[in-house]
Amino acid sequence: MKWGMVIDLKRCIGCYGCQLSCKAEHGTPPGVFFARVLKQEEGRYPNVRQLFLPVLCFHCEDPPCEAVCPTGATFKWPEDGIVDIDADKCVGCRACMMACPYGARYFHDVEQFYFPGNGPTPYEQARSARHQTGVVMKCNFCRDRVLAGKEPACVANCPTVARYFGDLDDPTSEVSRLIKERGGYTLYPDLQTGPSVYYLPP
Amino acid sequence: MAAQAVPAAGPMADTWIPSACGMCYGTCSILGHQVDGTLVKIEGNPESVYGKGRLCGKGVSGIMTLYDPHRVDYPLRRTEPRKGIGVDPKWRRISWDEALDEVADRLRKVRADDPRKLFIQRTTTNTSSRSPFQIFGWAFGTPNHWAAGGGLHCGNGAHLISGIMHASWSVVPDFQYCQYAIYFGASKGHAAGHASCSNMGMAADARARGMRMVVVDPMCNFAAAKASEWVPIRPGTDAALALAMAHVVVHEMGIWDAPYLKARTNAPYLVGQDGLYVRDPESGKPLLWDLTAGGPRPYDAPEHGDLALEGSFRVNGVPCEPAFQRLKAHLKSFTPEWASPITTIPVATIRRLGREFGQEARVGSTIVVQGQTLPYRPAAAIAFRGSQGHKNSVYNFLAVALLNHLVGSADMVGGCLGFNPVCHGHPDTGRPSYIPKAGPDGLMVTGIWLAPHLPYPFHEPRMPETMSFLDIFPMSMMSPLMASSDQEEMWERFELPYRPEVLLNYGANSLMSVGNKETVAKTLRKIPFIVSFDLYLTEFSDFADIVLPDCSYLEALDSRPNFPFIFNLPGGMGEWCWAIKQPVVQPSGERRLAMQVLPELADRVGMREDFNAACNALLRPAPPFGLERDRRYTWEEICDIELKSNFGADRGLAWFKEHGVIKWPKKPEEVYWRNFVDVRVPIYWEFMKVVGDKARAIAEPRGLKIPPEYYDPMPTWLPCLAHESQAGAYDLYAFYYRDIIHTNSFTMENPWLDEAARLDPYSYTIAINAETGRRKGLTDGQEITLESEGGRRIKGRVHLTEAIHPEGVGVGACAGHWAEGMPIAKGKGVFINDLLEVDLAHASPVNLNLDLCVKVRVVQ
Repeated sequence: MKWGMVIDLKRCIGCYGCQLSCKAEHGTPPGVFFARVLKQEEGRYPNVRQLFLPVLCFHCEDPPCEAVCPTGATFKWPEDGIVDIDADKCVGCRACMMACPYGARYFHDVEQFYFPGNGPTPYEQARSARHQTGVVMKCNFCRDRVLAGKEPACVANCPTVARYFGDLDDPTSEVSRLIKERGGYTLYPDLQTGPSVYYLPP
Repeated sequence: MAAQAVPAAGPMADTWIPSACGMCYGTCSILGHQVDGTLVKIEGNPESVYGKGRLCGKGVSGIMTLYDPHRVDYPLRRTEPRKGIGVDPKWRRISWDEALDEVADRLRKVRADDPRKLFIQRTTTNTSSRSPFQIFGWAFGTPNHWAAGGGLHCGNGAHLISGIMHASWSVVPDFQYCQYAIYFGASKGHAAGHASCSNMGMAADARARGMRMVVVDPMCNFAAAKASEWVPIRPGTDAALALAMAHVVVHEMGIWDAPYLKARTNAPYLVGQDGLYVRDPESGKPLLWDLTAGGPRPYDAPEHGDLALEGSFRVNGVPCEPAFQRLKAHLKSFTPEWASPITTIPVATIRRLGREFGQEARVGSTIVVQGQTLPYRPAAAIAFRGSQGHKNSVYNFLAVALLNHLVGSADMVGGCLGFNPVCHGHPDTGRPSYIPKAGPDGLMVTGIWLAPHLPYPFHEPRMPETMSFLDIFPMSMMSPLMASSDQEEMWERFELPYRPEVLLNYGANSLMSVGNKETVAKTLRKIPFIVSFDLYLTEFSDFADIVLPDCSYLEALDSRPNFPFIFNLPGGMGEWCWAIKQPVVQPSGERRLAMQVLPELADRVGMREDFNAACNALLRPAPPFGLERDRRYTWEEICDIELKSNFGADRGLAWFKEHGVIKWPKKPEEVYWRNFVDVRVPIYWEFMKVVGDKARAIAEPRGLKIPPEYYDPMPTWLPCLAHESQAGAYDLYAFYYRDIIHTNSFTMENPWLDEAARLDPYSYTIAINAETGRRKGLTDGQEITLESEGGRRIKGRVHLTEAIHPEGVGVGACAGHWAEGMPIAKGKGVFINDLLEVDLAHASPVNLNLDLCVKVRVVQ
């Protein structure tokens, strides 16, 4: 099987619910985002549109980050296609960050908390302290949640129900159906990375 | 204040606790995941209708507000007697007993002297705080209560007129059936506000289903970004567009919903040449013309034939015509050619929008909903804060509202819905139950409302006894006089017999939420004693004498976070839902929930009986659950009483703490109530002339001019001060909008939301049209100063964008804090309210809404 995500840009309103529910789920340090929302204007006044583009790790079929990792820290789970990082093996060389065409990876340089000079909040003690420093971090499709039978946090939370999660190898899954019926596309297909995250047109 | 929140002692199992969000007044239902006393995650509660298990970015970020180390943990007393912006109060930690003794002592003296000298101010963020503070105010005997900029900055126009026309706090498209929605300065379903998160899902469903949405707005963000069409408009000119659309529908297409207008509005009421109803000489009731009988009869005659909407008649020798005839004639001159130079929208676009709206309303069609055949009117014109945040607030909102009434889409399937104005109650108890009824002249009186007074009928304008002058302006809900530059002058002229001596503040930051800070500061300095329940030491706290450490929403209990349903429950078919708020963690430090303190304070002031009576008056518990006269009740007990009263003795606080919410299905008779409730709403505001004349008789002898053109029975477009500006150098209209990741002024202190806002191109910047910017030689990202005609200046970073009207300057939220007590927020974003003048000259002469657009120039 291959886990994948479909993001319906017609439904997305750029509320940042994904970016922030991800932060709440993982306690990512300041400046580190496993999920983000980008905004872009298209056209000239008055014929202008705003595009809201939620991004995350695309869990590529052929991930350039994995190919360049010197230690094997970045790897792909063979049973579900999720691209993950073993922090214990990561040496922080950041070659993967250079290789990723989607900017989905973040380097956790030094320990930081959200209230400078005040140490960790009780929440950060519980959720953020586990993150190692000197390593690269990124989205792993909330693999722990998925193994527990839940959807990734960003999918479960999206107020507009713009995100769908499922098995791309199953042609009858909702994600496969949406991609087929609504013309799902990936970003930078010419790079032939084979992303597992698809967008539906706005 | 540096102490960290400490988890409660003892092992706490890994639990998910149902409660309610408090990051905005949308109040979605949440589940707090608590592990060993620490909150580790907030998720939406899928059992609830409020948010449907999903939360916006603010909602999931509440953890960082809870655990902010800058929270106030102990009662504080100022030791520096001088008060001013930037003056350190030199706080001294005191005990709760010391604090409450001093507060109670002050309050006792004031109450004995003149209870009106107590002035209560609270935030709109926690809207249900209205109930306990209203109870305290009633018990104390003060009419002086306001929401610190709420009303002036949200819906003095929207709420009043939605109340008069829809018996609800606000309006939304019927997302499940609507085919064509046109928004005027509204973001329903795309950003902030009432039922915000639930509406996001419903609007997305509507979009996916193919509902067309046109968004009229000076800026293309949020709703406009998702619209089928963005129509840029000059700020504050929405009435001109709406009137021209009405002209096209009525005069060019010949469309109106005659059966609806005859049965559900005052369109057939006969109006004389003086603009007033022609009344039955005996009963005084307005008359209408029965075409079948060929004569007049009172509006509520039990049997009548077909009613005239058009034509001229004579009753007892008096020439008259139906109100609709008047409105039709009134609309004649509002052509697209007239509206285009006012709004900057091309004539062809205006004409097309009018035709689309008229066609899409499908007047005459029906649909079956749950076995009921009902009128199907899938077109909705929706206005909110943006369009009515001006001096011409009333007409801007009313002109949009009339579009729905002309085509009969008001509260019909697919049309413009009030939120839940009819509730038949839970099947087990029949509570809560409310329904609009016919009031004076047969016009609708809402079945439920939020203070301070019903939208209709109005009280007679009278000499003021309140600081606000709502006495003179009965169509206002909030007044700038609570913090205006002309307040003392007005109070003197109108002989207000007292001055405020104590200000009791709940979480509001009026230094930032009203207008320019100097004006507000001056009003606060005059108040001898200020006590403030706060989460942080804000710009307002700097003026307090005593600060009391409040609980955040995650440490709080509330039996009615979402009630009344006209405020927040999603509109349309679905389920009724009552949720509670309960602590998901124990409060740390010496924080105490304001609502828990109020009954104790009432006791210390010596007004326990009055407090209990006021509780009964506001909560109206069913027998036998009412409060006894002389028993001391805790806040928990009061919450328990309200829940048991509504849902039965076995569904009290304990039941709700376990279950979180109770739901039951809505019926078509409730949602599409206008087909089932015999009330009329005014498309012709006859009462305006009456109210205006009376207000003028009081005001003008005292030198306060009330221009009669604001009190016409039918809307027109009136220019705001900004439109009349003659100073050519001030060439741009500055306005603000509600950001999707911020609520009022407090969320900038949340470091997750602050971080997201810093990465957003718009949240903390000043948006100016790219071409306008190029002409002025601006470069994207540079620091600029905006100067108002009044010489007020604000600074910020410019963002040059294609997504804004060439005359517009758009700023997000109410940012730009300077308080040391909010270090994350300090210096972030733009404090646009600092440009606003706060006085009656800048307020609507009808509902006192503050004019929120300001002519500015860019100073580099």
